[in-house]
This record gives sequence, C-alpha cells and structure tokens, in this order.
Amino acid sequence: MNVVEVNNLCKIYPKFELKNVSFTLEKSKITGFIGRNGAGKTTTLKSLMNLIHKNSGEILFFGQDFENNEEIIKQKIGFVLGEVNYYSNKKLNTITRITKLFYENWDDDAYIHYMKMFNLDGSKTPSQLSAGMKVKYSIALALSHNAEILILDEPTSGLDPVSRDEVLDIFMNLSNSGVTILFSTHIITDLDKCADNIIYIKEGKIIADTNVNDFVNSYRILTFKTKPQEAIKPILIGLKPIKNGYSALIKTKDCQKFQSVSTVADLESIMIHIEREEF
Amino acid sequence: MIKLFKKEIALVIHPTAYIFLALSMMLIIPNYPYYVIFFYTGLAIFFTCLNGRENNDILYSAMLPISKKEIVKSRFCLVILLEIMQILLAIPFAIIRQKMNVPSNQVGMEANIALFGFSLIMLGIFNMVFFLIYYKDVRKVGVAFVKSSIAVFLYIAIIETCVHIIPFFKNYLDTKDTFYISYKLLILGLGIIIYTIMTVITYKKAVKLFENYDI
Repeated sequence: MNVVEVNNLCKIYPKFELKNVSFTLEKSKITGFIGRNGAGKTTTLKSLMNLIHKNSGEILFFGQDFENNEEIIKQKIGFVLGEVNYYSNKKLNTITRITKLFYENWDDDAYIHYMKMFNLDGSKTPSQLSAGMKVKYSIALALSHNAEILILDEPTSGLDPVSRDEVLDIFMNLSNSGVTILFSTHIITDLDKCADNIIYIKEGKIIADTNVNDFVNSYRILTFKTKPQEAIKPILIGLKPIKNGYSALIKTKDCQKFQSVSTVADLESIMIHIEREEF
Repeated sequence: MIKLFKKEIALVIHPTAYIFLALSMMLIIPNYPYYVIFFYTGLAIFFTCLNGRENNDILYSAMLPISKKEIVKSRFCLVILLEIMQILLAIPFAIIRQKMNVPSNQVGMEANIALFGFSLIMLGIFNMVFFLIYYKDVRKVGVAFVKSSIAVFLYIAIIETCVHIIPFFKNYLDTKDTFYISYKLLILGLGIIIYTIMTVITYKKAVKLFENYDI
C-alpha cells in the first residue's frame, strides 16, 4: 500500500526546476532520498509539506490531497529539517511543552524515552547543544507524536557514528512497527544499513525510484588501464580517472559486451559515477 | 487558536514588549510628544517579528498541524492585544497628567481623548504598512519596520502640524478633557473605526500574501 504518492510535481525557480517529480512511498518501508547538493531534495521535501508552493502536480498522503487535508495529515507526519535551530534561547522543556499542545497523539512516555536515549537534557537550550544534539532533539519531537510517516531532511548529518547508528536502529524499529520513513542523506552508508528503497534525484529530476538491491545490482564497475575507445563510450557512465587508469559504470545488462571483468558496484560508487561529468 | 497564542507568548514575544507596555506611564511627563509612546508598541511588534525570524518561528509553526491562516491570525491576535494593552495602560496616566498642576504640553498634543483616537489611527497605519510587507516575505522584517516607521512619523508630523495651523485642532482638540469632550469622543470613535477597518483589511490581505509565500 502506498501511503504517499507524488505525481508530476513541478516547481520552477529562476535558476532551478523540479521536473515532473513522481514517486511513491510504501507503508512500513524506509526510503532513502539521495542526490548531490542542489539536486532538489530539500525543495521536494518542503513541497511535500506545502512549505513551498508547487507549480503543478499532485501530492497524496493516505490517498488524501495534502492541500485540502493539511491539518489532519500533519498530525500523522513527523518532519525534521536537518540542523535547523528553533528558539535557540528557550529551554527544550518549554519548546516541548508548547509543541505537544498541537498533537492529539502526543506520547509523553515516548518523549521521555527518546530524551534519555539521546542523552538530552530538557533544561538546556538549543544554543547549548551541538549540531548533532539539535538533530536528535528534532527527531525526539517527531517521534513522540506517534507519526505514521517520518520525513527527515539529512537527519544523520552532523551526528557522530555511534549516534548515527542509534538513529538508524530507531528507524528500523519504527519501520518494523509500521512507520513509513523517507529521509534524505549524503551519507550513503546509512542507506546500505537500513533503506529498503531508494529515490535518486539529479538536477530536479527523479532518475531512480526502486528497491536498493535492484538499484545496486543494475550496475557494475569496469576499470581500464588506458583510456577506452570512443566506440564504447556511449555505454560507459561517468568515465573517470583513477590511480592506475580509468573507471566507469555500466549497466549490468551490458556486461557481456566487455571481455574484461566487471566488479559489483556499491551505492557510493554508483552515485559518484552518475554525477561525474564524462572525462 | 489558544494553543498558537500560548506559543506566541511562550516562544516568540520579545521581552522588551513588556517594557514598552510599561512606557505608557510616560504620559505623565509634562512635556513630551506623546504619540511616540504608541510608536514604542510598533517597536515591540518589530522586535517580536525579528525574534521570530531569528528563531525560525515561521518554519516551526508551518510544520505544526495547523494552517498558514492560523499562523497569521495568532500573530495578529498578539499584535492587537499589545496595542490595546498599550492604550488601556495609558488611560490612567493620561488622567493623572490632566490633573497635574503644570502648564499644558509644550511639545505636542495634550494627553487627552483625541490623542487616543489619533493614536489608534496611527497604529492602524503601522499595522497596514508593516504587515503587508512582512507577510510578503517574512525575512524582510527590517524593511517592513523602516517603511512603517516612516509612515507613522509622517502621520505624527501631519497631526502635530494641524494642531499648530488649524484652529479646530488647536482650540478644540488640543485641550483638557473637561472642554469640548464631544469633539474628542468623535475623534476617538473615528480612531476606533479606522483602526478596526485598517487592521481587518490588513489581516485579510496578510493571509493571502502568506499563503503564497514559500517558506
């Protein structure tokens, strides 16, 4: 079942454009949203929450149009925007006391649990927290109103490896209990650890919306000692120099066209080659 | 709405807003341009909106399960409350000023009922200029304040000039409340009507502007 459906979402800025962005989120699945800086990840996520007005397209949550059911839908969403700093000189307890007023399903026990888990002190202010701790506090707030969907913009950037691992474990536990998660990230190992699906955006256009394993298995890495001939270049994706020659990505189905042995690609090398201008 | 209003009080209002409310007592200063006291209310509103911008209040509010219209409504409720409080707190000090055995105000209008009427119009002008710029782009709170301040001081200059050059203003309105009270009540009534109309129009336009604003 799709809990989120985005169809042909377009947003036009003078120097950037979201071009017919379409994807779906399956219930209880963790979806990683990747793309390089400026590819349109934050714009897409903000559009989902109606923070940015789309020029055209349709956004459905639980089969309902977001614009006409905004308040009901937002009750079921936890939205975290990276390291954004709210009310930097107010105590976390004060921010929480106000935030909980707005959520029908606020769970104090869950809030206390996550505050303890993240070692957050409610008597501190956001200005006294590190970037990572701010993200943790935002996540604790998002998790405490029993959201059915979590949308997070780079929730793990700024976190140390142990905290990142904790957050990803929480995502997996939440996913097992039926929560749908969409999170953007630059840290590809996060996706290796917990993502079921992947949405890949490049220059405002979705170039992949698929299962992580299928995506990874659809590519192979080829290495060359010398620069490959022009004739095969159309098949190569992101040909780039490496220490002792060149490497490029190829579609798995094209493997048989080459005599040399290709190696299994990982998400990071796929992304690097796709984003790489041809050498 | 009550929840949002609680949010405005707990998280957004700038502490100086309370200090500026206390400045209503400046009406007992024997010689002072009393309109400035109500300009301080505008300063409190500016500081509060600036505080909101610096603390990502709009983004925080927009992510709550509420509509954008409610965000604007709660801010207007706070602003109207501050303005009405400033007026109400000033009334006893205006009465004290009138009973003080000192010469009339040498640098501006008397602290009388007409002053409150004119001040309400001034606050209506402030609201209109400030919020129509602010809700077009909440990052430009400084521009909104500069332009609304210019509008307010122009208005003060016009009213004070009228007191000097128009006999009706000088002889009837710039007097103690024991004289010509019906004219002053008329100005107060006009002030209340104009303030209400301007603020309601501003609110409706602000809602539309904010609906179209990309956060």
